[in-house]
Amino acid sequence: MPEQASLDASGSSDQTLLSPEMMAKLERMELVSRKIFRGRMKGERRSKRKGQSVEFADFRNYVAGDDLRFIDWNLFARLDRLYLKIFLEEEDLHVYTLVDDSLSMDFGTPSKFLTAKRIAAALGYIGLCRGDRVSVSTFSKASAPLVVRGRSSSHRLIGQLQSAQCHNPAPSMEESVRHFCLRNTGKGIVILITDLMNKTGYEAALKMLVAREMDIYLIHVLSPEELEPKLTGDLKLMDAEDFDMREVSISASLLDRYRLTLNAFIDSARSFCNRRSIGYVSVRSDQAIDPLINDYLRSRGLVR
Amino acid sequence: MTWINMLSPLQWTLLLAIPPAILSLYFLKLKRHESVVPSTMLWKRAIEDLHVNSLWQKLRKNLLLYLQLLFVGLLILACIRPGWSGMNRLGERRIYIIDHSASMQASDSKPSRLEVAREKALKLIQDAASNDSAMVIATSDRASVEQGFTNNRSLLEKAVERIEPTAQLTDVSEAFRVAAGLANPGRMSFEDNVDIQVADAVPATVYFLSDGAIGELDESEFGQLKIEYVPIGNPDTPNAGILSFAIQRTETPETQANPGSISAFARMIQHGSQAIECTASLYWNDSLVDAQKVQLQPEEETGIQFELQGIESGTLRLQLDHADALPLDNVAYAAIRPDRQVSVLLVTAGNTALETALRTQRITQIAKVQIEPISYLTSQEYQTNASESKYDLILYDSCSPEKMPAASTLFLGSVPPEDIQPTVRDSNSADAKADPVAIPETTPSTNAPANVANVADKTDSPTSAVELEENPKWIFGELSGPVIVLDVNRSHPISQYLEMASVGIVEARTVRPPSSGAILMIADNGPLFAIAPRGPYQDAVLGFDIVRPSAEGMEINSDWGIKRSFPVFVLSAVESLAGGITEASAPSVQPGLPVQLVLSNRFEKYQIVDPRGKIETIQRSGDGRFLYTKTEQLGVYEVRAEGLEEPVERFCVNLFSNRESDLQVGLELKTGAESIAATSNTIRARQETWRWLLLLAIGFLMFEWMVFNRRIFV
Repeated sequence: MPEQASLDASGSSDQTLLSPEMMAKLERMELVSRKIFRGRMKGERRSKRKGQSVEFADFRNYVAGDDLRFIDWNLFARLDRLYLKIFLEEEDLHVYTLVDDSLSMDFGTPSKFLTAKRIAAALGYIGLCRGDRVSVSTFSKASAPLVVRGRSSSHRLIGQLQSAQCHNPAPSMEESVRHFCLRNTGKGIVILITDLMNKTGYEAALKMLVAREMDIYLIHVLSPEELEPKLTGDLKLMDAEDFDMREVSISASLLDRYRLTLNAFIDSARSFCNRRSIGYVSVRSDQAIDPLINDYLRSRGLVR
Repeated sequence: MTWINMLSPLQWTLLLAIPPAILSLYFLKLKRHESVVPSTMLWKRAIEDLHVNSLWQKLRKNLLLYLQLLFVGLLILACIRPGWSGMNRLGERRIYIIDHSASMQASDSKPSRLEVAREKALKLIQDAASNDSAMVIATSDRASVEQGFTNNRSLLEKAVERIEPTAQLTDVSEAFRVAAGLANPGRMSFEDNVDIQVADAVPATVYFLSDGAIGELDESEFGQLKIEYVPIGNPDTPNAGILSFAIQRTETPETQANPGSISAFARMIQHGSQAIECTASLYWNDSLVDAQKVQLQPEEETGIQFELQGIESGTLRLQLDHADALPLDNVAYAAIRPDRQVSVLLVTAGNTALETALRTQRITQIAKVQIEPISYLTSQEYQTNASESKYDLILYDSCSPEKMPAASTLFLGSVPPEDIQPTVRDSNSADAKADPVAIPETTPSTNAPANVANVADKTDSPTSAVELEENPKWIFGELSGPVIVLDVNRSHPISQYLEMASVGIVEARTVRPPSSGAILMIADNGPLFAIAPRGPYQDAVLGFDIVRPSAEGMEINSDWGIKRSFPVFVLSAVESLAGGITEASAPSVQPGLPVQLVLSNRFEKYQIVDPRGKIETIQRSGDGRFLYTKTEQLGVYEVRAEGLEEPVERFCVNLFSNRESDLQVGLELKTGAESIAATSNTIRARQETWRWLLLLAIGFLMFEWMVFNRRIFV
């Protein structure tokens, strides 16, 4: 299906989250965690704990009681002293994906929500292929978080994301994050996919995540309609979430002012994230998913 | 520098509304399309500082607006034609004389000639140069200055618009006199019989807007006026009109039995070149009673006659059922006077001549006569009736009551009681009595004829004029005789038809009225018969008896009783003193002319109801005569007294003017030897259009602004 593939590659309005070609590419990738966390189960990740893996970490002197299996006999033969080989423990990684499903996400062509779901699916699939524990949840409490592990669960992950809808009224970002933090005490990567269009602000929510010492990535999705509004004339703008009305007469000066405001908003979000070691990635909703994951996110250090 | 307003309030309002209109373009709540956005958060921030003092911020930054307002301000300033009353040469003087007589109501020029004249006058006013001053005169049979000299056009235009159509005749000489007088004020001044030219005559142009039905003008009245005649109307407009309409009671032996027989006569004319046939309908109290087909030959008068039966009272209207340009003259009115029987009391010891005279047919028609002996004066009935105005007239034949009754009186031979005297200025009476020979002259108000004055001259009494002026009382002389009547006052209705030359009088006393009265008859020894008002009544005193009682019975004092003039005198006295009316048909006058009413003394106040139903209350004067001048409306006027259902008198106002009916517009005015040709209808003048262009510019500017505002939207 070359036609289907091309459509997917161009980021068309097709609701398919991941194409088989895309999945094949994703299998070779892995999520990058800038921190090394303790996992619960043995996985494919190096852990701070030393343990049984094939990857050598260090030597240390033998003390009575150590497992004789780890004595480096070659070294004993050369130096006539007992050293113990220490291997790195490989553990699983917790990947939490938190997708904003407020109504404001349901905008753009393709909609920001679809893009968010595609990113979540792609990153989740990468995690599954790497044996990570992948959890996908949305801001609204309606859908219970899905926790899956192993590549075989990928269809569950994609199915869950496929069925997700934008909700109104969606709980505020702060509330959703608080709820998420209470539920998930473990450490890991948190990928927050949102448009940050929250009138109460996003700072409190991010601070809460930072306090959990999680490795946080913020994927800021904005639609081209938001970045370059194609509005003209005298309008009554209605907020999709709270139905707030703003009367504007679109003029060049107003559009300039809007762009300035938007840039200031993006810059403030980026600097806020940078100062708190939050990985900030800005994404346009009309970007094709393939280059987005393969090139863009890779260059941003989220995947490798 | 004084402010001269060049605009009407409406124009001011329009001009002053433009700057707010421009400003409002900024604030007008535009119809906005609804558009859903993910979040208004960013928009809110973007427009936040526009909302803070958005109005002033917007205005502060908008240089375009200021430029535009400045431009509009200058345009408005240009529109109101700023200037100053400096040392400019005085412009031309113009006088607009607008004819609003009956013929100007003709509708041959739509909507009417007067409307066309007004439009032309307005055009002339607009076309005048700005420093020209002008005045507006409306003329019919009289002239009225609607607006004196001014260069304020809006005042002139208002004055022209004020001119209403009238049904009056045309007499423009007064208008031209007024125009000449006002155009050249203070031409002459008389000081010590020397004419001093106090001001140079300023030439003025008269624009005379009329249909030319005005007759001949006197050129000498024009002075410095230059006449421009602007004819109004179509030159050959045919029109049929009624020239006269009169009614008469038919008094033939056959109709004697039927008092309601009336003949109505009408004359009508057709102006124009075509003969017409139409129906003349006669309405009695608005119901059709008769109609005749009439053939009207061009420029020929045609008479018609109607014979009517059973018409007692009411109004008759003759209507020509023919649609022409002037409907005013197609209708004529006549009224049958209401029956009005006056009440007359004769107190006499026996006077066959007088009693016979009171029994004539004419008198019995108009008066109810009661004859009583002298003893009746003392009866309770007389006292009551006399004091309650039950009688219109009381004749005292050789007798006199104790006090004057509440009625008009005629004393024959007797001296009235003391209270006939006016109550004012009693102190002068002694002086007046000192010279009984002095013959009083009538006061100027009573219009004594010249012959009476001549009589006074003949009596060699040079002081009489002075005496008369100061005589406040009736003065009755002693009996003397024989007496020869020298002259009678022909201008007074009582004495106007009297022929006294052959009347012999044995004894008579002089009767001098107070200065408010009039002498009606003068004999060789002084005034013999006089009349004077007493409050609302009139008292007439005749200085001699016809018959008088003596020891041998009744004795003849004068042979007047057997003369022809005696019943005439009695009838005149009853008509005049009691207010009796004998004519069947009510008087008819042309619109605007006065009508004289003779009203009974029984009522103090009368109401005159005009054809439109407008009521005017009038106070009856002493002699029961009243001159009513507000006869502008065509139709039947009624005089009503309080408490009476029927009107006491009627009169009609009819156009009846051949000149007004003739709608053929004169294309030149005749002024003695010369004639003034019609000015061409379009008078050359500067037509100013800059104002319209400016207004157009303002409109374009506002439109441009709107378009510009639209286009900067991205």
